[in-house]
Amino acid sequence: MDSLLEFARGPLFRFSIIIMILGLARLIALDLYSIFRAHQKAGDKSLPWGLIISRSIEWLFPVKRIAHNRPIYSIFSILFHIGLLLVPLFLFAHIQLWEKGIGFSWPALPYNWAYWLTISTIIFAVLLIIGRIFNKSSSFISRKQDFLWPVLLLIPFVTGFVCSHLNLSPSNYRLFMLIHILSGDMIFLLMPFTKIAHCVLMPLSQVICTLAWKFPADTDDKVCTTLNKKGAAV
Amino acid sequence: MRTNPITPEERGKAFATQRKPEVLKKQNLDVRYHIEDFETNDRPGRFLEAFAAILKHSNYKMALDHFIRMSAKCGRCATTCQVYQATGDPKDIPCYRSELLLSVYRRHFTLGGMLKGRLLGSGYLTDEKIQEMAESFWNCTACRRCTLECPSGIDHALITHLGRYILSEIGIAPRALVVSTREQLEGATGNTSAIPVPALIDTLEFLEEDMLEEKNVEIKFPMDVENADYVFIPAVSDYLMEAETLMGIAAVFTATGDSWTTGTGYFDGINYGLFYSDRILERVVKKIDAETKRLKGKNVLIGECGHASRSAKYYLPTYCGGKDAFPVINIMEYTHKVWKEGKLKFDPNIVTEKVAYHDPCNIARQKWIIDQPRELLKAFCKNYVEMTPFGADNICCGGGGGTISIDEIRPYRTTIGGKLKADQIRRSGCNILIAPCANCKKQLRELVEDQKIDCEVMGLHDLIYKAIIFDDSLIVKKDVQPENIAEEK
Ligand code: HEM
Ligand code: SF4
Ligand code: SF4
Repeated sequence: MDSLLEFARGPLFRFSIIIMILGLARLIALDLYSIFRAHQKAGDKSLPWGLIISRSIEWLFPVKRIAHNRPIYSIFSILFHIGLLLVPLFLFAHIQLWEKGIGFSWPALPYNWAYWLTISTIIFAVLLIIGRIFNKSSSFISRKQDFLWPVLLLIPFVTGFVCSHLNLSPSNYRLFMLIHILSGDMIFLLMPFTKIAHCVLMPLSQVICTLAWKFPADTDDKVCTTLNKKGAAV
Repeated sequence: MRTNPITPEERGKAFATQRKPEVLKKQNLDVRYHIEDFETNDRPGRFLEAFAAILKHSNYKMALDHFIRMSAKCGRCATTCQVYQATGDPKDIPCYRSELLLSVYRRHFTLGGMLKGRLLGSGYLTDEKIQEMAESFWNCTACRRCTLECPSGIDHALITHLGRYILSEIGIAPRALVVSTREQLEGATGNTSAIPVPALIDTLEFLEEDMLEEKNVEIKFPMDVENADYVFIPAVSDYLMEAETLMGIAAVFTATGDSWTTGTGYFDGINYGLFYSDRILERVVKKIDAETKRLKGKNVLIGECGHASRSAKYYLPTYCGGKDAFPVINIMEYTHKVWKEGKLKFDPNIVTEKVAYHDPCNIARQKWIIDQPRELLKAFCKNYVEMTPFGADNICCGGGGGTISIDEIRPYRTTIGGKLKADQIRRSGCNILIAPCANCKKQLRELVEDQKIDCEVMGLHDLIYKAIIFDDSLIVKKDVQPENIAEEK
């Protein structure tokens, strides 16, 4: 078990992080490149930047989400995200690991905060899952990953909590720690290939859905040629 | 906004098909709108071919790639869509509708999807799926309201637009739209309402006489004047159905004295291309450009019509020269501008009814025209009420995206598409509903009729025509009209 633990927190961890970074960077690069290409091809290059920027910012901050619709879901989702983002990055024990791995550190969350944020993330993840199952419209449009992601995200939070706050025998501790690290690795690995890509792609959404209406010039002729419809009646 | 879902009887009525069983069988496509006969062999294959051709020559790939990578499936769009709110049928959830096309894209045009599909031998596009798209994409009014509520920026109206474009390439498009477009682009009259030029001239002369009688002012519709500041292009159906709107517009120009003209070469702002085919969109826009060039006009002035305004404003630059294209303005922008400059006067005592304003999606969603008409209305209507939500967040009339022109789906439009709007109108208690758009006007009139709401629907310039006050110098002196004098004695 010890060697497995070492593998999970050593090579596998480094591999997952690299895949995550490269994968997410690739997605950003692809998006930026297609934005650039689409803008170049567009017949009308003017874009309402003010509107795009204000709409992008609205979505990155929670106010509009709560105010506009599904307020309860939004509050759950926002509180869930807060813990999700803060705990992994700012937990004292994690920062120590980062320091070992990459050589520098940053201030940690106070112990109490970390404790309550972990609990709130767990609670809100459960509430999100329940909400998704019982809300008729959400459950209808959900894919497998939409149910599984909150479950997967729960695992490191629960096991991490168990390891640091319960008195476990050393072997149980190692078991829970192994699950904790493996599930963390799994999350990093899967991020670029699933909907969690939204953590980096979301800021580009409004540019894309506005620019998408800027069509290239002279497509009529080209599409007709490709489809062998030149001169055909309407 | 919430509404009560429709009852099963209403549902039956709304989805009742008017199409003959033998046609349905022959076309092998069970949808509510009429379609001209088309090739039914290997529809999936031809759909994919058309999809590929369109992707190759367009910018859609950017958006599709982004959408398939990040949809959060949060369900926010469900609470915004007026169609889903009315039907309560999960298949009308915008995210589900878009997924119909996105899944085809993922399966056939992305590496991962193709590999997975091959390995599992699954997911190949089928006739059933095409049928579902053909039905679903014409349930959506392409109002874009859901897009504003989607944190992932998924533009369901864009997907609807693209889906209909691809379908039209394999022959699946509402006959009503195709026939009108054919007349506009290839027919003898060159407009969607098939109005011959002599009839147009007759109509306008008749209106001029009417206006002289009513207002005692020589109000003209200048025809084929070269070098005018504004080349006027309304939705052509206005010449048949919205005389009052046109009279209001002519009255405004008479009051300001600015030069404007209607061209007899081309005078139709309607562009069904915006609803079902980028190729048509391009062809129609180019006709507007050509006519403006012929008349050596300076600006294109679109009448009271949302989709005509949007298609000209956003696609004239696209297809006809980018920054150098003719500037496009909507008539309400013009009227608002000249009113601000003090060139228009209104009688504040004429309109006493309760007036509300409906934002056409195509000019309000991107915050183009929202405040101007309201300021004008508030200037002379004593009793103006607002319907919420409004402006960029307005609720669609229920006839958007070209569905208004499909007469056979009227029951659908007035029981489902416009249900939320009907609730809103009822709540406002307005007697006059201003809808400055040819599509919205027709839909809202049918809506208030079918839903039995006591309210008159008209354009902004209809009211302006009633309230406008002309300068004394424009009033035709009574003494030149001998009969009048004789009567007075
Ligand atoms: C700073 C970056 C992020 C932003 C702006 C963001 C934003 C969002 C938004 C807008 C939603 C849709 C639900 C809603 O509207 O509230 C969402 C859902 C979700 N996000 Fe994030 N997110 C971010 C980072 C992350 C990360 C890093 C993860 C996981 C590792 C994550 C996991 C999730 C999950 C699982 C859901 C679905 C929740 C549900 O079941 O409805 N997010 N996110
Ligand atoms: S565009 Fe309008 S009608 Fe279509 S799905 Fe969105 S909200 Fe519904
Ligand atoms: S609002 Fe956007 S992300 Fe949420 S369910 Fe609808 S389409 Fe999907």
